[in-house]
Amino acid sequence: MRTRYRIERRALLTGGTAFVLSAVAGARVPLAQTLEKLTFQTNWRAQAEHGGYYLALANGLYRRAGIDCEIRMGGPQQNPAQLLLAGRVDMIMSSGFQALNYVRENIPFMAIGAIMQKDPQGFMFHAEAGFNSFEQMRGRPILVGAGGRVTYWPFLRRRFGFTDSQIRPYTFNIQPFLADKQAIQQCFVSSEPFAARLGGADPRVLLFADAGFPNYQTTIDISRRLVDEKPDLIQRFVDATMQGWTQYLRGQDVAAANALIMRDNQEMTQEKIDYAVRALNERGIVFSGDAERLGVGAMTDERWEAFYTAMRDAEVMPPGLDVKRAYSLRFVNRRVGLA
Amino acid sequence: MSPRRPLLSLTGVSKRYATGTLALDGIDLTIMPGDFIALLGPSGCGKSTLLRLIAGLTAPSGGTMEWPMAMHDAAGDVERDIGFVFQEPTLMPWASVIRNVALPLELAGMKRRDAEERAAEWIARVDLKGFEKAYPRALSGGMRMRVSIARALVTRPRILLMDEPFAALDEITRFRLNNDLVQLWAQERFTVIFVTHSVFESVYLAERIVVMAPRPGRIAEEVRITAPTERGEEFRTSPEYAAQCRTVSLALSAAMGGAHE
Amino acid sequence: MSENADAAPAAGGFMESTLLRILAPTLLALLFLGGWEMMVRVREIPPYILPGPIAIWQTLLRDWGSLSVSLLITLKITFMALSVAAILGLVLAVLFAQSRIIELSLFPFAVILQVTPIVAIAPLIIIWVDDIAISLLICAWIVAFFPILSNTTVGLNSADHNLKDLFKLYRASRWQVLTRLLLPSALPYFLAGLRISGGLALIGAIVAEFVAGTGGSASGLAYRILEAGYQLQIPRMFAALVLVSTTGIAIFLALSLLTHLLLRHWHESAMGRGDRR
Repeated sequence: MRTRYRIERRALLTGGTAFVLSAVAGARVPLAQTLEKLTFQTNWRAQAEHGGYYLALANGLYRRAGIDCEIRMGGPQQNPAQLLLAGRVDMIMSSGFQALNYVRENIPFMAIGAIMQKDPQGFMFHAEAGFNSFEQMRGRPILVGAGGRVTYWPFLRRRFGFTDSQIRPYTFNIQPFLADKQAIQQCFVSSEPFAARLGGADPRVLLFADAGFPNYQTTIDISRRLVDEKPDLIQRFVDATMQGWTQYLRGQDVAAANALIMRDNQEMTQEKIDYAVRALNERGIVFSGDAERLGVGAMTDERWEAFYTAMRDAEVMPPGLDVKRAYSLRFVNRRVGLA
Repeated sequence: MSPRRPLLSLTGVSKRYATGTLALDGIDLTIMPGDFIALLGPSGCGKSTLLRLIAGLTAPSGGTMEWPMAMHDAAGDVERDIGFVFQEPTLMPWASVIRNVALPLELAGMKRRDAEERAAEWIARVDLKGFEKAYPRALSGGMRMRVSIARALVTRPRILLMDEPFAALDEITRFRLNNDLVQLWAQERFTVIFVTHSVFESVYLAERIVVMAPRPGRIAEEVRITAPTERGEEFRTSPEYAAQCRTVSLALSAAMGGAHE
Repeated sequence: MSENADAAPAAGGFMESTLLRILAPTLLALLFLGGWEMMVRVREIPPYILPGPIAIWQTLLRDWGSLSVSLLITLKITFMALSVAAILGLVLAVLFAQSRIIELSLFPFAVILQVTPIVAIAPLIIIWVDDIAISLLICAWIVAFFPILSNTTVGLNSADHNLKDLFKLYRASRWQVLTRLLLPSALPYFLAGLRISGGLALIGAIVAEFVAGTGGSASGLAYRILEAGYQLQIPRMFAALVLVSTTGIAIFLALSLLTHLLLRHWHESAMGRGDRR
């Protein structure tokens, strides 16, 4: 037995790649074992909301499962789904909407796990504005991102009587929010409020999930082909991932994972990570509902059905889709990480 | 000296450019109404400069220019009643023939319809009837020059100034235009000052040939042509014409003096 | 004893050249489209990777309702930006022609507009200006402005100096010189700048909307492209792209036609082959 080193490719923020020789912590593997390669693309720059993956990588959970996993960082204006479709990556970090898109467009891809039971998106506003409910935001200008316009917005519009004329473009810049005490903007509960606080504001967040928005977030999307060809590999990947998440949110052995996150994303700080982890736990983003029974990443037929129905009623999705084709339950609900 | 009042008197007129070159020095010239004057000389003798001075396009550095018969406008400037024909036809390429010829009238404030009516008359006078709507690009060089002449005459100016207008044309066209010009002048009796470097042309056209010398530009001599006013092909091949050409030629050589180019 | 202008060129030559001008690019386009469709079928490329022209055409027909609305909006922004650029460019160029001091002091700012990358400042403009449509208009205008200003300034300065003397001779007023001499002289240059700016205005409108990410209740083609991308409706994305390209071509042809109509009598650039003397 000896320590195995790995040459890792890291995507730098500047767009290049660097080859880094890194010791894989705690990895003792027999000589001559070959690892199977898998690439996983996230949907943003490295952050605590991806923590479980980085932990599984940094602490050798993937290696122990015989997987050479490469985590590719996403960013603004990137569309991981297109990369998945083009075959550039094996799996992507995604949301329930993409799974429904696959069914509608008859594309042979699907979701095989859902890390976040509650969608961590919501509207952020100043405490001074004093909103207590979504109804009170009717008629007010709201900063909505391009993706939001076709995902949560139609749901909210239908449920709370919003109109499209309220939409202002959200350019992922915190300044307009800081400048206007009446501003409302979309946010991830684990990210933007921290930046707002740094800017001297006192932000509050209303989660869409608390208003009944049933979307799964941080899902794992994969091609049917890969599922059919290598089900055992995929199962090992999912188990290792769920294990990683369980440990990460419980704060077990997170040092290496956070170091990896901060190296990949130069703008990330320990403060931000701590804030995000706290927010995820407080709001029950990952550990809630079905995940408490079935383990991290749990998915159920009922939930998917409810999600499709809500989107159909909001006219985001056409009627008559076979929603069962959007996902597979065979890899999750195995109570990974639960005592 | 004629008992009539002169149209223009130049006394000691000189022009020095900003570069220091003395283009004209001590020009004395009297122009009577109805004269046909040729300014003849080699390049550099200041004949074009003299023309531009008379036109008011540039101001003299010294001497006086008097227009005894002219009116003065509100600013005290002389109201010069002038038509100018450049060496290039200088037409507005975006405008038809009639729009070009009507331009001077419209600039003076005449209504468009009246201006075009008058323009049409002059277009016919220069033998271009039917080409009113044509654009300059569709015309030959000689035709464009006729348009330029029509434009110059449309305001019925007292003086027609022409700066080597036929130099760029072929000989046949030049002869034709020479005849047309002389005929027009005989009919209308405006004053013409015609700049040329051709002895033959000056003798054919003018009554008075002012021979100029260069460096500095000055008047060397004046030759009067005593020939029948009826200029035609017969005149061009007559012994009188040849004799006059010789006289003028000699005067020109004398004017150029020791300056060999 | 008058001369005759040459007769107009033979009718056959004119027909030939127009036919060729339309036939040649059409043929090439058909060849290209045919090759594309064949490649997609032969290699069994799924439509969500690269749709063939026929699939795109079908999507275009099916979604014509929403796509045509977006097309109209993008066209409106482009047209308005181009108009503002043309008017402002013309007025400013006239101002520059009147005063050298004004020209020297303002020209650097115009150059700054030219080299500013719209991708970078569009988000800022959208933040500063509250109205979406106006901020898109401003972005498109910024991109389209400079060529018109620059070209027209050159044009105004290129009037024939003999003609200027002629106007001086007839004691024309400044206004007369401007309207009867300088502006017509500048027309070919202005139109050349306009042709360039037409496409640029479209690009500006598209890029600005891309960067803005969202529009108000009405969105242009760029938003449709973004939206189709998010929804993985790839044939629709291509259909919107095709509309953008077609719009660009149409704008160019329209401006070329305008140029031809205005200049055909007198300017080298717009003359046919046979009219020269």
